[in-house]
Amino acid sequence: MIKRYLKRLIIVLAYYLIGVLFPCAVAMPAENRPVVIVNSETVSKLLLSQNALSAIFGMRLRKWEDGSPIKVFVLPDDNLLHVEFSKYILHVFPYQLRAAWDRLVFSGTGEEPVKVMSEQQMRDLVGSTPGAIGYLRGSMIDDTVKAIAFE
Amino acid sequence: MTRLKPSLLSNPPLSTFFSSQTLYSHFKINVPQTLLNVLIVVFERHRGSFPLKHLLSKMFVIGVLILVLSGFEVGPARAFDLGSTVQAHGFLTQGYFLTTENRIFGTSDEGGSFDYIEAGLNGSWAPMSDLRLAGQVLFRRAGKGHEHDVELDFGLVDYTVLSTADYRLGVRLGRVKIPFGFYNETRDVLFTRPTILLPQSIYADAQRDLSLSADGGLVYGEYQNNWGNLTFELGMGIPRGKSVDTELGILGSDWPGRTDSKRSYVGRLGYDMLGGKYRVALSSAWVDTRYQPDRLPPDDLSSGKDIFTPIIISAQYNLEKLSLTTEYALRSVKDSGFGEGFDKDIVGESYYLQAEYRFDDHWQAVVRYDVFYSDRKDRNGRKFEALFNSPAHTQFAKDWTIGIRYHLNQSFLVAAEYHAIDGTAWIVPLQDNANLSTLNRYWNLFTLAVGYRF
Repeated sequence: MIKRYLKRLIIVLAYYLIGVLFPCAVAMPAENRPVVIVNSETVSKLLLSQNALSAIFGMRLRKWEDGSPIKVFVLPDDNLLHVEFSKYILHVFPYQLRAAWDRLVFSGTGEEPVKVMSEQQMRDLVGSTPGAIGYLRGSMIDDTVKAIAFE
Repeated sequence: MTRLKPSLLSNPPLSTFFSSQTLYSHFKINVPQTLLNVLIVVFERHRGSFPLKHLLSKMFVIGVLILVLSGFEVGPARAFDLGSTVQAHGFLTQGYFLTTENRIFGTSDEGGSFDYIEAGLNGSWAPMSDLRLAGQVLFRRAGKGHEHDVELDFGLVDYTVLSTADYRLGVRLGRVKIPFGFYNETRDVLFTRPTILLPQSIYADAQRDLSLSADGGLVYGEYQNNWGNLTFELGMGIPRGKSVDTELGILGSDWPGRTDSKRSYVGRLGYDMLGGKYRVALSSAWVDTRYQPDRLPPDDLSSGKDIFTPIIISAQYNLEKLSLTTEYALRSVKDSGFGEGFDKDIVGESYYLQAEYRFDDHWQAVVRYDVFYSDRKDRNGRKFEALFNSPAHTQFAKDWTIGIRYHLNQSFLVAAEYHAIDGTAWIVPLQDNANLSTLNRYWNLFTLAVGYRF
């Protein structure tokens, strides 16, 4: 029995040690981190600049290089994946995104992204809407959507 | 620039927006229209002052309504197949004001006033990725003189001339919102304001009409690089200066004639760094308002011209929980041709320092110190008093504000704040306060507001 507890203790300590040395590995397994996704059929781009990413999710850039419209999908403001996407990929806080979208909507100078209610719905809509872009956790990606790299 | 034809700017048929069937089937908005109507009817019946003891029962009713309606979440707007998008949004705010002295938005000094409702409905349609049409209708109740204001807030066509990842350039035509400072373009929406009452030194509700929107056009552009995001807007148009409030703001009382706006200009340059961690902006305007007399002097003033040229510097620092904002304005007013004693050439000064703290997703607090001087050279108003025999305290206002907000969910907000004010420069002459001599220099204000948006 003591052997079993010791074994568990060692595993926990090892996990903790890894967590201290490599925090990302423990806190956010790669397959759960948000990944930018686009509609795989209609969007040919493989790489986006940070500028373009900010402008697209900030709803200031509304079309792809070929002239087709960009359809942006996001999860609700308090959704954990949205918070992570906002902070670690866009480098802004969710409240700043919300403030920017509200300014556009209520001054007539733009629109806000389409809000989806679940990651399943995100995948379905990005996968079926031409020119769509969104974000998803890595483990949920399928053929209809493709991950896109950014600088 | 000639004014656009009235037909372009007339109110769209409200029935198309308010049909709950249309709302539900097209936009999947789960808002029972009947419940919204009930809210409006309930508040419609409670005009004017209310004894304080009824406040609690009112709050209880509002609280219950909030709990019931908070169950509703907004569904996504449907995108149509042809690549066009249609979106509809709206908001409704009910405010309550209680003042120790002086009146604001109704008889706030006698048991408080519920005479404050802001509601709006807007729609946006983008038939192509470069072209967008948008419009917003507002309903406002704000005390005497504003019992049932319905107006077209904006109605515009937006065309993007150039659009790449780093540059954007476009033009807006029609009735466009006037861009100045950080908060003017969305000043009627509780959710986009830091407090229930915007800093009055820069966003005076008394001069609201002139600063809302103008009929004309606006050119906008954006340049983005690794260092940040540079934006500019340059507009030309005719503001909406026909209201009595404009006349009161310029002349101090209601003369027989009328004010009217002439071609005016506005410009704003903005710079965001590190995704908005640091924001700065420089705004300026050249606002031309004329007075058309109805009678000959001395029964009326002469046809005068008011040229208002403010310049505003804005800065904001945003962290995860804390945001610090400050704006400073120099407001030049040149009045000529009105007649002896009314012509003036003064520069006013305004500024505020504001700190907001977000405790979590729901709670937020704000503290602000806001200062307004009608004339930089007469900060205590004594020169004004000597010249016009009118109280000196009408020429300045210093306001300490503390407020708190609670976000129930994405759609509901409850806010409360307390102001300790020295000076009555905010007070609109005539409307709510018929007699300036009854005004008190030191006054406190408590306000509560409930907001809903979709």
